[in-house]
Amino acid sequence: MKTLNIVERIEGEAKLVCNWEDEKITDAQIQFLNFRGFEYILKDKPALDALVYTPRICGICGQAHLKATAQALENIYESVNEPLYITDKAKLLREIGLNIEIIDSHIKWFYLFIMPDIAKLSKDEKYLKYEAIKGESWRKGTYAASESIKALAVFAGQWPHTSYMLPGGVMSDPTLFDIMTMQNYMDQTLHFIEKELIGDEIENYFNFNNISDFDSLNGALSDFIKLCLENDFHNLGKSYNSHIVLSKNYLFESGRIEIKNRQSVDLSLVKEEDINSFKMNEPRRDNEYTWAKTALYNDKPYETGPLSRALISNRKLIKNMHKEYNDSVLTRVMARMDELIYLVFITKKLIKQVDISQDSFIPPKLSLKDIGTATGISAVEAARGSLLHKVTLENSIIKNYDVITPSVWNLGPGINEKYGIAQKAIIGANSLEKAYIILRSFDVCSVCTTH
Amino acid sequence: MVDSQDMVKKVFTQKSARIDTNKGENYYNNLFEKAKQRLSTLKKQAPLKDIDMVDVIETEGINRRDFMKWVSGTTATLMLPPMFEPLVAEATELMNRVPVVWIELQDCAGNSEALLRSASPTVDDLLFDVLSLEFHETLQAAAGHDADRQLEDAVEHFKGQYLLFVEGAIPMANNGMYGTIGASGETFHEHLMRMSKDAAAVIAVGTCATFGGIPAAAPNPTGAVGVMDLVKGKPLINIPACPANPANMVGVILHYILTGQVPELDSLLRPKFAFGYRIHDNCERRAHFDAGEFVEEFGDDGAKNNWCLYKVGCKGPMTFNNCSIIRYNEGTNWPVGVGRGCIGCSEPDFWDKYAYQRPMAGANIKAPTGGVEKTVDEFGLGLLTATAVGIGVHAVASAVAGKKSEHNEEE
Ligand code: SF4
Ligand code: SF4
Repeated sequence: MKTLNIVERIEGEAKLVCNWEDEKITDAQIQFLNFRGFEYILKDKPALDALVYTPRICGICGQAHLKATAQALENIYESVNEPLYITDKAKLLREIGLNIEIIDSHIKWFYLFIMPDIAKLSKDEKYLKYEAIKGESWRKGTYAASESIKALAVFAGQWPHTSYMLPGGVMSDPTLFDIMTMQNYMDQTLHFIEKELIGDEIENYFNFNNISDFDSLNGALSDFIKLCLENDFHNLGKSYNSHIVLSKNYLFESGRIEIKNRQSVDLSLVKEEDINSFKMNEPRRDNEYTWAKTALYNDKPYETGPLSRALISNRKLIKNMHKEYNDSVLTRVMARMDELIYLVFITKKLIKQVDISQDSFIPPKLSLKDIGTATGISAVEAARGSLLHKVTLENSIIKNYDVITPSVWNLGPGINEKYGIAQKAIIGANSLEKAYIILRSFDVCSVCTTH
Repeated sequence: MVDSQDMVKKVFTQKSARIDTNKGENYYNNLFEKAKQRLSTLKKQAPLKDIDMVDVIETEGINRRDFMKWVSGTTATLMLPPMFEPLVAEATELMNRVPVVWIELQDCAGNSEALLRSASPTVDDLLFDVLSLEFHETLQAAAGHDADRQLEDAVEHFKGQYLLFVEGAIPMANNGMYGTIGASGETFHEHLMRMSKDAAAVIAVGTCATFGGIPAAAPNPTGAVGVMDLVKGKPLINIPACPANPANMVGVILHYILTGQVPELDSLLRPKFAFGYRIHDNCERRAHFDAGEFVEEFGDDGAKNNWCLYKVGCKGPMTFNNCSIIRYNEGTNWPVGVGRGCIGCSEPDFWDKYAYQRPMAGANIKAPTGGVEKTVDEFGLGLLTATAVGIGVHAVASAVAGKKSEHNEEE
């Protein structure tokens, strides 16, 4: 039997086509059927224009694209031996900005998408609070997210789609008052997380070793764990269990893991294939079914995102859960929430470290116009995983701009007889509802996937 | 060189394209009566949702004073005199009488994201609890076939009554193959036509839906166009900007509830209450523009002192929008506020015309007001050259103000 379903509530839409045998999914295709063509649009534009275009690839992770563009352009300076000096202040503001965006994204994903869906699998009335739009938790989650993102708007000017970074630093010069305002917003977020999400103080949370530590608590995470165990999500959603993280920051380390060995990464081994993907201006072939391409490292598929980051950075709770439940829905979702909690904690500290007396921006001695022909590359950890930008300039005009988004790693089609990451995770599920939740555990964003 | 600073002022603040904020007592009295009648008719209709605003306000702990503050802010945003405040408050309570269907086409979901964080009382209370949002792909509870069915039901049930919000452009190249939707795989174009057919009005939100936006930037690989290129014979409102300001979305809905009509629009179908004046007209850095104090380069002393961003590419003088007043994220801030300058995102083709950090003086831009801005550009260029040869900002400003001779004497 073959079924075709639409997956909504993912920022855009995806189509899920499944083959069933004995009430189990034996094959699945995830199709993304919306395409805008950013890489084509960026061609022939002045280099700095990219700073305004790429954040618009996605309404949820624009900061990540902005940072990736700024850093790719800075990498061009490095490539011609004129590295730019970026002050600590500018570095901090960039990282804080990106962190806040991830915090916002994680809160919304959990409260708007994951919990309403998984709560629907239970008849217990106490989970009604997670219902979309009407439920109290849904509303509190939305509210918390919109409050935390204000901490970003304070120094970025607006959200979504800010463009306050540029090669050489950032344009904004927050005052002491701005810094305090940001801290207040982060305190509110922390309070929400302790009260609603964990149901305990963050200091205690950092001592948790296993899911049993949530047993006596009343937060949303305890509800989530119960619902997961009831519905077998600690066994469902497993993929290759190989993980990649392309860049590092205060919380994340780069690397890749297959089975247990962490190894370093080399960006030149990343490539994108489009064997099963549609191509611009070419007639479609039978095997082509999606606008998403396939990202590979050394010709192999890898999962990217919070679970991969938690494992490579060795965060205790997730590491322990992973030993028991591997890359299941349970571990994957908990990894994202664990990351949220750490990010709020760390971002608060980073805000304190901003020294407003430093310069925000040091103008490059050379203009990109004087550089002429060069290539720059950058990797950034976005909410959904590693994001890669590669830009080639010719006579200071963009000749080629290549974007590989996290969703391309996780949600792109498989090639060479190998399934894609999410595709493999879905196979084996015994109901459509469960297949949806497995798919959602990757935090699907269709606009990013196809860009 | 033009020798009067007043010239700059005149050109940049001329009334021609601006909204007339005072239409006279008669006009407002008439509108007031009309709105009162409209609201009482709406009140008689059964609510589509049994949640009401008063309850929401109470349960959310928003006190009456805060709510009234919001009401008077919104009344002002709509450019209505204070006498309309009680009606605006009432209209808010009647939001559950007007069904809204929101569809996403070739977009980045930025407007939906922006909407999630609208002005207080938070939009969760205002829009999602009270407004009858019959369909929103990302926010609604239903998914899959249920969602499909919900959309069909809404369109059928509220034939001729619903407001259709459209987010995203429509790719027309290659028979629309760059964007399809739903299980049947209808193209975005077909979907838009079908959904708009029975809508009371269509509201294009964001620059993609209004003018094709970023997908339509050169070379427009997917043949993207805006809603107004396709939907005809129907009240159509454009709320451009990237993202559109949620305050303006709420404003349009409230206006519709109040009057049953679309608000007064400019030639690009933008509501004048929001797009009747330029960013530049109300910019907090305007005094520096007038004084000839410009940021010459990001990170310089001018930047540290919040001087005008014109020379580092601010498009405020060309851009019609109210973000210098409303700001973003519940008024937290706006791009000019953090020293970035406006990129003109509510103007057609802004991607290609106004792209980043290209000072207008060199960009050969045709002004939305026609002709006039060319003078301004040349004038701007004059300023640029003058400073470049080292006369100094102060001298230029004084010269422009017609005090040249005095100044020379001082020196
Ligand atoms: S107008 Fe801007 S925010 Fe809206 S969909 Fe287009 S790119 Fe995204
Ligand atoms: S910053 Fe821009 S909008 Fe503000 S005064 Fe200067 S040119 Fe006008």
